[in-house]
This record gives sequence, C-alpha cells and structure tokens, in this order.
Amino acid sequence: MTSTAAPTRGPEASARPRKPAPSWALWAGIIAAAAVTVWSALGIEFTLVPFFTDATRGWFVIQEFFAPNWGFIFQVGNAWLETLSIAVLASLIGCLLGLIAAMMASKVTLANPVAHQAVKWVLSVIRSIPDIGWAFLMVAFVGVGSLAGILALVMFNIGIIAKLTSESIDAVDPGPIEAADASGANGLQRARWSVYPQVLPNFLSYSLYVFELNIRASIVIGLAGAGGIGNVLLVQLGRFAWENVSAIFIATFVVVLAVDLASQAIRRRIA
Amino acid sequence: MTAATRPTTTMKRPTPPSKWPHTIGLLVSLAVVILAVWLVDANWIRLADLPASIGNYVVLMGEGLTHNPLEVPWSEYWVLATQRMLESIQMAWIGTLIGAVLSLPLGFLAARTVSPAGVVFVTRQFLNAVRALPEIILAIVLIMPIFGLGPLTGALALGIGSIGTLGKLTAEAIESIDPGPVEAALAAGARPVQRMRWAILPQALPEIVAFWLYRFEINIRASAVLGVIGAGGIGSLLSQLFNRREWEQIGITLVVIILVTIAVDSISGAVRARIISGGGRKLAARERRDEASAIV
Repeated sequence: MTSTAAPTRGPEASARPRKPAPSWALWAGIIAAAAVTVWSALGIEFTLVPFFTDATRGWFVIQEFFAPNWGFIFQVGNAWLETLSIAVLASLIGCLLGLIAAMMASKVTLANPVAHQAVKWVLSVIRSIPDIGWAFLMVAFVGVGSLAGILALVMFNIGIIAKLTSESIDAVDPGPIEAADASGANGLQRARWSVYPQVLPNFLSYSLYVFELNIRASIVIGLAGAGGIGNVLLVQLGRFAWENVSAIFIATFVVVLAVDLASQAIRRRIA
Repeated sequence: MTAATRPTTTMKRPTPPSKWPHTIGLLVSLAVVILAVWLVDANWIRLADLPASIGNYVVLMGEGLTHNPLEVPWSEYWVLATQRMLESIQMAWIGTLIGAVLSLPLGFLAARTVSPAGVVFVTRQFLNAVRALPEIILAIVLIMPIFGLGPLTGALALGIGSIGTLGKLTAEAIESIDPGPVEAALAAGARPVQRMRWAILPQALPEIVAFWLYRFEINIRASAVLGVIGAGGIGSLLSQLFNRREWEQIGITLVVIILVTIAVDSISGAVRARIISGGGRKLAARERRDEASAIV
C-alpha cells in the first residue's frame, strides 16, 4: 500500500516520493459509514425543516424556561439529597463489586481460562443493558423507590468499573506478581498484595468518574420510578410546568458542576 | 523491629510517610456513606425478597424465549424488538454524526496550541456546560417543542449532548500532536487553515475518529433513555412493555438488546483498534484514560 517503489531517477536527484495510496480498508470503511448514514437518516426521517418552520414554538418554551421558579429549587431539596445519597451508596457498592469482578475477569488474577472468560461474558451482558433497562427491572423486582434506584445504579456501575479496571489489571507490571509467586502467595494473596496496590490509583479515579456519572444517571432512573430528582422531574414535565422544570435544570447544572469540580480535585491528588 | 539487632547503627530507617491524609480521607468518606444511608429512604427490607423475585421474573422472561420464535405471536415480538433496536442504532448514529461535525471546529477552538487563550477559555466553558447537562433535559427543553416526539428528536438531543465530551477530547487530541509537522508547515509558509488541514488534522484524526466510535457506543445506550420520554427506539418499547408487565416479551426484548449491543460494540471495538494501531502513537494507559472520559 505505501510506496516502496524506488524513484526512477538516481538517488542523487531529489525525486518527490510517490504519494501513498489510501488502503482498501479505508475506502471500505468510508463506504460503509456512508451507507449506514443513509440508512439511518431514512430510518429516522431526518429533516431540519421544523427548525425553520416551528422555531417559534420552541421559542415559546424557551421563554417560559427562562423564568424559573426559584423557590422550587429549595422545595425539592429533599429529592436532591435522596439523589446524592443514592449516587453515593450505589457508587460504593458498585465499585467494590466491580473491583472484585474485574479481578475475576483478568487472566493475571484468575488463571483458569474458562472462569475468567465466563466472568467477562457476564460483564458484557451486564454492560449491554442500558441504565434505564436496569431501572425498569429493579423497580419490578423490589418495587418503586430509592432501593430500586440504588440496585439499578449498582448494576450499571459494575459494568463500567469492571471493564475499565480489568484493562488496568491486564497492564500491571509483572514484577511484583512474580515476587508474590516466588514467595509462595496463593491467588488471593497475589491479587491483594501485588495487583491491588498497582491498580488502586486508577481504580479510585474510575470510581470518581462513576460517581459523577451516577448523579446524571440518577435523573434517568427516576423516569422508571426509582426515586430521587428524576421522579420530581417526571411529574413536573407531565404537568408542563416549565418554570419548575427550569428550576430543576438549573439545580442539576449546579450540582453536577460542583460534583465534577470536587471529584476532579480529588482525582488530581490521587493520580 | 528487626533493625535493632543489626550492628550497623549509622543506617537509619527513613521515617514512614504520614498516614494522616489517608486516615482523614477514609473518615470523611465513611461519614459521607453513613450520612447517605441515613438520608436515603430505601426500603432495605425488600432486599430480602430480591432473590425470590429475581428467580420468579427470570422464569417468566425465560418462558418467552422457550417458545418457537417462528410461531405467530412470538415471531412478531422478535421482529418488533429488532426493529426498535435498529431504530435506536439509527438515532445513535445520526446523533454521533451531528456531534462529530459540530465538535470538530469546537475542538480546534478549545485547543491551547491552536487558538488564543480567550477563545480557548470561552469554548471550554461552553463544552463544560454541555457536558453537565443530561441529554434528556436537552431533548425535553430545546428540541421536543420544535421537532415533536420521535427518533429525530432523539438523534438531535444525542448530537448536542455529544458535543461536550467530543469537543473536549478532540481538543486534547489536537494538543498532544507532534509539533514537528506544524513547524514544517510554518516553514513552508502555510496559513493557519492550511496548517490545520495538513499538519494538525492528519495527526489527530485517527484518535478523534476513535472517540466518535466510543461515543456511538455510548449513544446507543443513551438513546434508550430518550425513548422512555417518547423518542422512539428500544426505550419506548421497554417502557411500554414494563408498564404492561409483559414479561415474556420483555425477556425477548432484553435478549435482542444484549445481542445487538454486544455485536455493535465488538465491531466498533475492532474498527477502533485498527484505527488506533494504524496511528501507532497511543499508549494503552492513555487510551484507557480517554475511554473513561469518553463515557462521561
């Protein structure tokens, strides 16, 4: 693909090197992407016409939106505390379970090839169900309320943490593992004393990411009836109470920003 | 302890680093967790019922799978779930494309090595603001009043939602390029646009395209959420099915979600690996970090 043909003139002449031709894989990729784009655009009936014809309708909502009901922000303080609590507990449980799952999904810490492959499969199944899917399932399993929210986020977190951490585990320095093996450590001891200390900074950093994600996701799980601010949002939307939705929106913005800043500060110290 | 018996008295053990920051961190975390347990109004007793009810519902869902998928009511369920899942993928694809097209120029504006400091600051604040908003709020407020309910609304919401992360990651990819080609372009008298086109973009593009693919995978999952508020796709189907508690059909739908998602993820992962190894500059650790931030 890349040009290896020597220039026809002698080496002393500064011939221009031949331009490398793009590989067939690139062309195939571009054609495939274009095909998928056309298929998708037809499938969802893509058009921007309403943007020009119906923009006034949107403008009306935006206008209402810019008159937020400030009092409402404090009225729903309890729902926010619930959302934050759900996120804290789900992050804690989900990340601990995720760490264990990650250890079991790596051949470094679980030598049995069948076992770690099986764990990997279970994890990709867990990951492939979207957060809202888990929320629906958990609401069905344990009923409406924050317990369902916690359980749904725990499943969601296990999927993310296990994937990120197991890749860190695969990349650990083999030295300490050999040292642990040489001193006769069993599998658990090796995981605890040679792998865990190496992945701990990464793991903590991922856990904070997951916590940030959970704040946003807990709005989502509220849509399925799993507690927190999402429930409040759903009710206000149903009533078309834009001034209250707008208040929730502003509060979301502030809370997410605060959590992001705090977690970034902590992450900088860890990493 | 063992040092006491050694004859070498001049060798002093280094003082161990202070454990206070660690202890304080642990105590604060513990306090936060206790506060959370105290604040949350969870019905913990229901946890005891969990194994039984999981078993119960899994059996119900499994029944949907044991029926012959070619017979009439069941074949319709399989086809419906697949159609809706494909609609979600279409939403996610168009959304990612919109996000990609809009975030590329923003990425250049947010890159410290390309744009003046003032522009970088403003663009970064804008990207942070987009990142802080859940797509669902964007969908409800900005797009639904204009475009109504449907997959198009979902795609637009995903597109705008993608700008935040894609813009930030694009800027970082641009900042981390090798400055050599840029200097070469400067030496050859290239204007800023020519420098971007011929020195910066070819270096950063493999990484940027890999981020687009990450985002596509994430958007497929995110589209399920938008579906619940009426943007079509698999989310709408799930929400209808759970409202009607049609467990057999839910089982079929979940299997379709799992299979299609894993298939798309592995194809996209393979393409990504090829793109990145073709670029050949990235380290595994760097890629993992980027993946983590792509999720956010």
